[in-house]
Parts: sequence; C-alpha cells; structure tokens
Amino acid sequence: MKLIRRAIASAIVGAALLSGNVFAQAKPVEIQMWHALTGLGGETLAKYGDEFNKMQSDYKVVVSFKGQYPEQRAAAVAAFRAGNPPHIMQMFDAGSGDMMGASKAIVPVSEVFKRAGMQFNPGDFIAPARGYYGLKDGSLLSMPFNVSTSVLFYNKDAFKKAGLDANKPPATWPELIAAAKKIRTSDASACSFTTTWLAWIQLEQLGARHNVGLGTQSNGRGGLNAELNFSNPLYVKQVQTLMDMQSDKTFSYRGRSNDASAAFQSGECAMITQSSGAYGGYIRDAKFDWGVAPLPYWPDAKGGPYATTVGGASLWVFNAPNRSVSEFKGVAKFLDYLKSTPVMTDWAKTTGFLPATNAAFKYLNDEGYYAQNPRTAVAIGTLANGKQGEHTGGYRFGRWTEIRDFYHEEVEKALQGKQSAKEAIENSIKRGNVAVRAFEKTASQ
Amino acid sequence: MDRRVIFPNKLLPYLLVAPQLAVTLIFFFWPAGQAVHMSLLSQDAFGQSVTFVGLDNFKEVLSDPDYIKTLWRTLIFSGAVAVCALAPALLFAVMAERVVRGATFYRTVLVLPYAIAPAIAGVLWLFMFSPSIGILAYGLKKLGVDWNPRLDGGDAMLLVIMAAAWKQISYNFLFFLAGLQSIPKALLEAASIDGAGEWHKFRTIVFPLLSPTTFFLLVVNIVYAFFDTFGIIDAVTSGGPAKATEVLVYKVYYDGVHALNLGSSSAQSVILMAIVILLTAIQFKYVERKVHY
Repeated sequence: MKLIRRAIASAIVGAALLSGNVFAQAKPVEIQMWHALTGLGGETLAKYGDEFNKMQSDYKVVVSFKGQYPEQRAAAVAAFRAGNPPHIMQMFDAGSGDMMGASKAIVPVSEVFKRAGMQFNPGDFIAPARGYYGLKDGSLLSMPFNVSTSVLFYNKDAFKKAGLDANKPPATWPELIAAAKKIRTSDASACSFTTTWLAWIQLEQLGARHNVGLGTQSNGRGGLNAELNFSNPLYVKQVQTLMDMQSDKTFSYRGRSNDASAAFQSGECAMITQSSGAYGGYIRDAKFDWGVAPLPYWPDAKGGPYATTVGGASLWVFNAPNRSVSEFKGVAKFLDYLKSTPVMTDWAKTTGFLPATNAAFKYLNDEGYYAQNPRTAVAIGTLANGKQGEHTGGYRFGRWTEIRDFYHEEVEKALQGKQSAKEAIENSIKRGNVAVRAFEKTASQ
Repeated sequence: MDRRVIFPNKLLPYLLVAPQLAVTLIFFFWPAGQAVHMSLLSQDAFGQSVTFVGLDNFKEVLSDPDYIKTLWRTLIFSGAVAVCALAPALLFAVMAERVVRGATFYRTVLVLPYAIAPAIAGVLWLFMFSPSIGILAYGLKKLGVDWNPRLDGGDAMLLVIMAAAWKQISYNFLFFLAGLQSIPKALLEAASIDGAGEWHKFRTIVFPLLSPTTFFLLVVNIVYAFFDTFGIIDAVTSGGPAKATEVLVYKVYYDGVHALNLGSSSAQSVILMAIVILLTAIQFKYVERKVHY
C-alpha cells in the first residue's frame, strides 16, 4: 500500500516537474539553415529538420531553400554583411575556395564542435571528402553532406539495338568513341553521347582520373598564390575529342550544367557522363534499361586510371558578431544528427547521393544494399576505392565558379569552330589566372 | 486674380508627398547611392577588406574588351528587338483598324502577351525551341535545319530576340492603334478620291503622320530591350553559349551575383544608370514635345 502511494506521489511530482519544465522552459534557440537542393533532396533535408525539432526542444532548426547555389551564396553574403547570416549554409564543391578565403565569415566545423564541447572526429568521413573539405592538420572546414562523383550512364536498350554488349560498357575513351560510332551508324538512338557539367567532368574529374593537376601549390590547396596551369596535353586532347566527336555527329553538346540530363532521360542520347547524384531521378523517370559505369579514362595515360574526385556540396557554418555559444551548440547538435548513421543511410538511399561517413557506408555494405543495387556501387567504387594520387584529392581556387564558366565559354567557342582546342585551354587558363589573382588581392588581409 | 489654392497649413503639402518621397528615397535613391559608393571600392564578397580605389573599377570595365563586345552586342540586340517588335505591331494595328466585326476580340487577343511575365515568356519560347523536346525544334530538324541554341550563338541570339520582341508587340500595337485612330479620316478620303491605292496612302499619309508615335515607341523599345529583357535572357540562355547573348544588364547580374565581383558590377550598373538617364532625357526633349495623344 505504502509502495503504491509512494509510486502515485512520485508520479504526481514527476508530472508536475515535467509540466513545470515545459512552462519554465525558454524559447528554443533558432538555427537557420540555407540550402540549394531542389526536388527530392530538398524535401528530404526539410524532413530531417522536422525530425530533429521533434527529438529535442532546446533548438529549432529552420531549413529553407534559397535558390540555386550562386543566388543562395549572394543572399548569404548580403546577410553576412548585414550582420545576420544563416547559421549553416550548404555550398557546392566549386564554391569551397571562395568560402575558405572568407576566413572571418566562417567557423571551421571542427572548431564548431570544439566550442560546443562535443566530440568530432574528421576520420568519420570517407577519405576523399575529408581530403577535399579538410585542412592539412586533418581538421575539417566544412562538413561533407551530399557527396557525389562523376560516372557514365548508358542506355542498355540502345546498346543492344546497336549490337553492343549491354553488360560491357566502355571503360576507356577510345572504347566510348567506338561505341558512339556504332550507335550512330546503326541509328540505335538519335544521339550517341552527351555530357552534363562540362568543366566539372571534362576538366576537374578528368584531371583526377589521370592524376594530372589543375594548378600550382598542390592544386591551390597550398595557398592563395597558386596559379592555374592545366595546359597538360590531356586537357587539350579531351576538348579535341569532343570537337572530333561533334563533327562525326557522335557527340551532341546540350548545355553547361545539368541541361543535357533530359536528353539521356528521354532516351535521345545513349550515353552521358553525369553526376552520380542523377541516379534517383533516372530510377524514377527513365523508361528503359540503363546501366552505370566508371568514368572512362585514356589507356595511354601514365599509371592507369586513378580515382575520381568528390563533387556535391558541404555544410559551412557562418560566424557573426552576435552569435552565442548556445547557437553554436545547436549547430553542432544538428550537424551531429545529420551525420548520424540512420540519417546518412536514409539520405543515400532516398537521393542516390553517396554516404559521406565511413559508418554509413559500412552499414549499407553490410546490409547488402550495394550487392542488391550494383548501379549505386559504381560511384563509390571509383571515388573511394580507386587509386589515389597527388591530384585525386580535389583542388581549391577562389572564384572557381567563374573560372568554370570561362572554361565553358572557351570550349563552347571551340565547339562552334571559332578556335582550336589548344586555344580554348590556353584562354581558360589566362582568364582564370586573372580571376585567381584578383581573388588573392581581395582575400588576403 | 490669383486662383491658386493656398493651404493654410505649411506642413500639410509636405506630409501629403512624404509617402511618395519616402518610397522614392528608400527604393531608388538609396540603392542607387549604394551602387555609386560601391563602384568606387575594391572589396571581397564578404566585405572583410574594403579599400577605396577611386575610378579604377570604371577604368577596368571600360578597358575590358569583353565589356566593349557586350556593349556592341547589346546595341545589336536592342536594335533587332525594336525592329522585330515594331514592324509586326504596325502591321497588326493597320489590319485591326480595318476589321469591323469582332474588332474588340481581335484587339484583346493581340494585347494578351503583354500580360505574361518575362520569365514565363522566355520559358515558353525555350520549350518550343528546345533541341530535345521542343515542337518547333522538331519541325526545324525535319526541315534539315541544324538548330541548337545551346551551342550556336546565332541561334541563341535569334531565340532571345524573338521572345523579347514577341512580348513587346502588344504594347506597340496599342500605341499604333491609338495613333491610327487619331489620323483625320478626311485626309484618307481625299486621297481615295484622288485615286490613291492602299499602299500609297499608307506610305504618304499614314506612316508620316504616325512618325511621332513610331519615334516614341522606338525609344521605349530600346529602353525595354536594354533593361527589361533580363528575365527572358536568364530563363532562355543565361547569357550563353560563350556569352553570345550576354547583354549589359545580364553582365551586371553575372559579375555581381555569380562572380561576386562587386566593384566591377557596381561600376557597370552606374554606367547603365547613365545610359538610362540619357535615353530618358532624349525622350523628354524630343518626344514629349511632338507626340499628341
């Protein structure tokens, strides 16, 4: 009897304490997160924000879409100058150099966790992403989140129609050219080959795949005084290849960023070099049998194929004069939640991005996910298990988004027949170096 | 006798114009002043290191061969848009004038495109002429035309000119129609009695009498092509391929938002501001005096 009474009493006290707790509690600290993910990716990220808010009551994460990366970045820059930037901003690979230059505007992720008094081990992240977004001392500047790399998607139905082996996709560029010719002559599809993300794939990924650099100072990672020097014959050869294939009508240029994707999805183009992040969309929308292959390489290059490099985006933490410790704590807690294995595996499965952490990768592997979905295993294979070299770990230059567009413009001019492949590369380097120098001038204090 | 209304309260008139003044100051003078200020500074995107550089940004912009190329491109683009928007509008107006039954219906339909937002107009044209999915691109392909605005600068330019002109035709149409209706019928009847044909009447009477309207519309169309076509260009080509459709106003946006080169972008917008002030001055000086509504 006494026991029951005591139990009831403690229950009442406990309830009172609990409700008292609810009433006495201060308003949750708001954490703003901006991102540039459209469609499925954006929806999924918003879902994680909601789930985090339900799990605890100290912080309230507000996830908002702020337009494509350049618009979002411009908005964040304006907000920072007004003294009120978002706490977390998702920024794509090419913007990393610019963010690094803004040393007063950002707080390295490793430092955020330190301020919050929380454990953070950069070693938890897959090595390529760690190298790309990290510093020499091993600490991380930004937290890798949506990780992708470049692969070749091919239309198996078109391959069969052209009399090609649908289970043996081209591994090298000469093989791809031969396959494209066969598709063209057999009229298996209207267009043989196209590419998305011209600079990212035909310049940056190509360089990593052959362990050839883009600039001095270990690809710009050593300092702001780095110079672009991607005049290696490999880069010229690649542009020349695209030009030759275009005149054979085996390559069709369909625009800069993701514009060409529709041409593969509709079945018009039989092969496309693309981000592995396109996987989810093709699963849903492509009405034919398709496969994924590693990004082709040139067999005559020294040392054989190397790994491809990281693409996608990472999460940056902004600093501001009025940021409190509890805000940083909330940021760290949310980032910690995002990198937890359940979230990372769910993210990879839903969107087709690669898991950013070793634990999530191991979990998916152990679960048999890659065995059941061999197409998703290709990207992680070339990224993480490929041969690593001096130039596979990525690059870091200021104003790289603009430099990518210089490359786009110069290669477009070459494809229009207005200049040679060599001129296209030389002009890109020349214009790129002007931008790199201008960045050095304004970024170094 | 002085017939002016005198307000006994000295403050009231100022209070009455205050909202309008506030709007103008906050949304026009302040940002314009900011642009002028920033055009004199060199700074990184985050404003961590700001230095005063005087007119260096202007020197840099005006000595940049790319900028000069963009200037020429803008002139060609504006001229083409003005011509492509004026000629059909005049034709439609002359035709619509002659319609007796259902005149209101025709006029309403012809005015409709003006109600469409620039970006939407751009997307409509983009879809129709998209090499992968566009119905008109499909037709062109069947005719043996190698159409690819994603790679061919000429194709891309043609596409944005058509989209931009199409949207402006309605506006021009309205003014031409009003202009036509103000031409004295007696003149035309007299000409008919003298045995003048339709074309002869148009050439010697209608067109000369319309000239104030035409000149006014020419200025308005050039201003439109200079400044209001951003949405169309952004939606259709984003200034590409290889800058083939990058006009001045698009370059301001690209250099500021994409390249985060704030000094150069501000200097360019100050130059654009000077151009629009000049065009407006021309319009006030020559057009307002001659156009009679």
